[in-house]
Amino acid sequence: MNVKQLIFASSIAFAISMMGCKKDDPETTNPTTPASGFTNGVFITNEGPYNTGTGTVSFYSRSNGSVSSDIFNTKNGFPLGNVVQSMEVYNSKGYIVVNNAGKVEVVDATSFASVGTITGLTSPRCFLGITSSKGYVSQFGSGATGEVKIIDLNTKAITGTIATGNGADAMLKVGNTVYVACSGGFTNDSVVTVIDATTNAVLTNINTGANPASMQLDANGKLWVLCVGKWNSSYTSLVNTGSLVRINPATNTVDLSLPFTSTTNSPMHLCIDAAKTTLYYLYQGAVYAQPIALSNLVSTPLINRGFYSLGYDPISNAIFAGDAGNFSSNGKVIRYNQAGAVLDSFAAGIIPGNFCFR
Amino acid sequence: MNFFKTSICIFCYAHSLLGNAQSLVDSIKQLKPVEISSLRLNEFSSGNKCETIDSAMLNKYATSNLADVLTNETQVFVKSYGLGSLATTSFRGAGASHTAVLWNGFNIESPMLGLLDISLIPSFFLNDVRLQYGGAGALWGSGAVGGTILLNNALPFNRGLTVSAMASMGSYNDAQQQASVEVSKRKFASSLKIFNHQATNDFTFTNIAKRGFPEEKQTNAELKASGILQENLFQISSHQKLNTRIWYQNNDRNLPPSMTEDKSVANQKDDALRASTEWQRTGERVALLARVAYFNEGINYTDSMIHLQSKSRSEVSIAEAESRFSITKLDAVNIGFNNTYSQASTLDYGENKFQNRTALFASYKLHSKNNNWNVLLSARQEFIKNTSIPFSPTIGVDGKFLKYFYVKMNIAKHYRIPTFNDLYWAQGGNPDLKQENGWSEEISLNHQHEIKSWSWYLGATVFNRTIDNWILWSPNAANVWSAGNVASVWSRGVEYKLNATYTFKKLKVKLSGLYNYVLSTNESSAIVGDASLHKQLMYVPIQNAQGSISIGYRHFSVSYTTIYTGYRYTSTDNLAFLKPYSVSNVSLNHLILLKKWSFRIFVQLNNVWNQTYQVMQYRAMPLLNAQAGVGIYFNKPNKP
Repeated sequence: MNVKQLIFASSIAFAISMMGCKKDDPETTNPTTPASGFTNGVFITNEGPYNTGTGTVSFYSRSNGSVSSDIFNTKNGFPLGNVVQSMEVYNSKGYIVVNNAGKVEVVDATSFASVGTITGLTSPRCFLGITSSKGYVSQFGSGATGEVKIIDLNTKAITGTIATGNGADAMLKVGNTVYVACSGGFTNDSVVTVIDATTNAVLTNINTGANPASMQLDANGKLWVLCVGKWNSSYTSLVNTGSLVRINPATNTVDLSLPFTSTTNSPMHLCIDAAKTTLYYLYQGAVYAQPIALSNLVSTPLINRGFYSLGYDPISNAIFAGDAGNFSSNGKVIRYNQAGAVLDSFAAGIIPGNFCFR
Repeated sequence: MNFFKTSICIFCYAHSLLGNAQSLVDSIKQLKPVEISSLRLNEFSSGNKCETIDSAMLNKYATSNLADVLTNETQVFVKSYGLGSLATTSFRGAGASHTAVLWNGFNIESPMLGLLDISLIPSFFLNDVRLQYGGAGALWGSGAVGGTILLNNALPFNRGLTVSAMASMGSYNDAQQQASVEVSKRKFASSLKIFNHQATNDFTFTNIAKRGFPEEKQTNAELKASGILQENLFQISSHQKLNTRIWYQNNDRNLPPSMTEDKSVANQKDDALRASTEWQRTGERVALLARVAYFNEGINYTDSMIHLQSKSRSEVSIAEAESRFSITKLDAVNIGFNNTYSQASTLDYGENKFQNRTALFASYKLHSKNNNWNVLLSARQEFIKNTSIPFSPTIGVDGKFLKYFYVKMNIAKHYRIPTFNDLYWAQGGNPDLKQENGWSEEISLNHQHEIKSWSWYLGATVFNRTIDNWILWSPNAANVWSAGNVASVWSRGVEYKLNATYTFKKLKVKLSGLYNYVLSTNESSAIVGDASLHKQLMYVPIQNAQGSISIGYRHFSVSYTTIYTGYRYTSTDNLAFLKPYSVSNVSLNHLILLKKWSFRIFVQLNNVWNQTYQVMQYRAMPLLNAQAGVGIYFNKPNKP
């Protein structure tokens, strides 16, 4: 091979190799933080796809509609983690339940600076503040039943366990009593466990429909429970359909039970408006508004669009609906007024699953 | 058989340079494959870019699995969940199920998952590995979309008795033992190989997902594996050969938590039995091949923390026959058929599911009188009841011009049938799914030459591929997830490779480098306003590169390899990403040759710069770790 050919070859090789030198650095966006901190707004807990550890919390400010994303990691330098399930604000502290990481992150609710972590939980779902030094965390557990863990809020240590029905999930405090909806966990159940908040003792288990998951208290002091129904073993059809059940807290008995008809879809995410006279829930790819005075289920939907999650903001009187999109990239939250008309929408994190209104 | 030699040269010369840095040192393990298990492989894969890893190179990875071999020695991207954990391949930005993995010509991928965990394949059980890039639906059928990995075994005749044993120890309580016995006479050869592997994999790492970034030890990552491979080869008559192979393997792995989880109690047990028999008759004008195989695999996955136990088993029976003959002096024809019967069972299917597919394939190759140019036409038609599979043709050209330049071009139709899980899963499985299909095109330009003590190779490939009707699970308005042919992925890019070798007396120095630039974007979706449209697929790096230098002097060799992986997106809207990383490995080998005995001592240092990096988000990877071992070989040739 002569020199000419060698030069020819090298120059081709060089030219080809230069073509490849392109930059692919992705852009990074700087998240915004409101000047007055995270007050007067809505926290959106974004689950993140299962086991990826990319759950986050976003904040929507009521004053100017600005959205701050990934506020926990931005403030504290480490991620929330694996399936951010729900959040509660109690005594100026935020309690963020991270389901698959088995922990609850405690932050200052205004600055979102981390002040501690409650660890040692197994599939925790919700947090409820009881007194300034005591809180409850509901969890699916890994044993035979669901559990409510008693937490000392000062030391962040678990001080006790209350055995409930399977899959302890949503909790609601009525006076000095705590109602725990047992949504089945990894199996099935059909009870709402009633706990005395002072003694931590189980008072009774109320039989509702199959797998009660969400609860709301109405203007008449009655407790409404939305049951999602029970699936067959191959998850193709509901053996027991969902139902909307009303409990009288004075007697701890069910006084109304409205069954749903679909055998392929579960009603979910029970919410209530500020006046506590209209209930909202997701069902069959739509949002329904159910007045509490009715003794049958409303047949016409309020909003003809399916969502992943639902919430009601009592301060701005708006319905917040979470759209998870393709479940592997940022979702959206759409706000509606009480008549079901769109107000606006904003970007959330991946799989917006729950709302915490502050 | 001049053209035959030439085509072998084109494939092997350039790429065996990669492997033969050790050729001086590992002559004892150098095997010349006597039988070629599939006629199609060697003669009819024109136009595609290929890479070969021969037995000398595989010997360097004797204590590793196929995932490590491919990561360090080839241009394909390997996605790994960590030490000893799941590893899959991604050819040119395609998915794990878009690689066909063939064992001696039989597709060993699970009919339920449509992919293979390559970390379960011990390189000790392989004689050579060949990678064919690009679509090859005509040659290999379903799944040969991004590329094909061909794993081959070979037994030589008349080598006498060979006994070998190897033991190694490594970081994190890694212990491996291997042994093999081979009896090789003039008309009969038989070999038995066994291995045993254990490790606790409790490496220390920095947990970047917890407050204060604490140092933690990996938990629940133990692994136990053992396997046996038995092969027999008979020369029945002067023209006929028969071989049998049985491969049984058992893997038990505890699956560690990600950095965002407190702990994990998950465990996965894999067991696989693979058996095959092949008969060959090579005549003056016609060569005939008939073969059958039976694969039985099971997976048992348990995670008591989420009350999950999932057991599954699949059985595949394959029967294949092909014949090769020439019509004129300048051509070669190959015709064959394949019947694959698959059956799988798991609780989530309801009842057992089965599927029978029959394929007819044919190839025609024409070469120029001076052997410089080849043109190849291939086609395959597969039949499955109630499904129509597209006719899959391929056209390829390769040629030599200007004395030291080679060009290859290939246009191929590819397809992938839906897996049993996509079709039959109780909730969401869709029995009406169509197969994925599309076209892939590539063109390569290579230059290789040698002057005095130097030899070098430069190659560049440009490719383009679309996969339509890509199967994805997605939710509908009522949040019910099901499988559908909803996406369409367009991949395109360039791949560069260069090697240079310098030989002087007993010294051999080799440099090699490679670089890939791959864009692989989602071009269609069933979800309105899907944020993943026109965005790069998750975990497909746009850039990745590799460089290595190895020096061999007499019986000693040392090599240093660095692998660089660029940005990878971790969300389909490309808003979240992982930073680039580079990992370097060093390996040292020394051979002591006596008359009938030889000993091999090796040391392997991985991640020599102690880098903290993640291949998958929040999955810890080990820091600097080492492995060292001794192998002993004995060979007594046959009496003449």
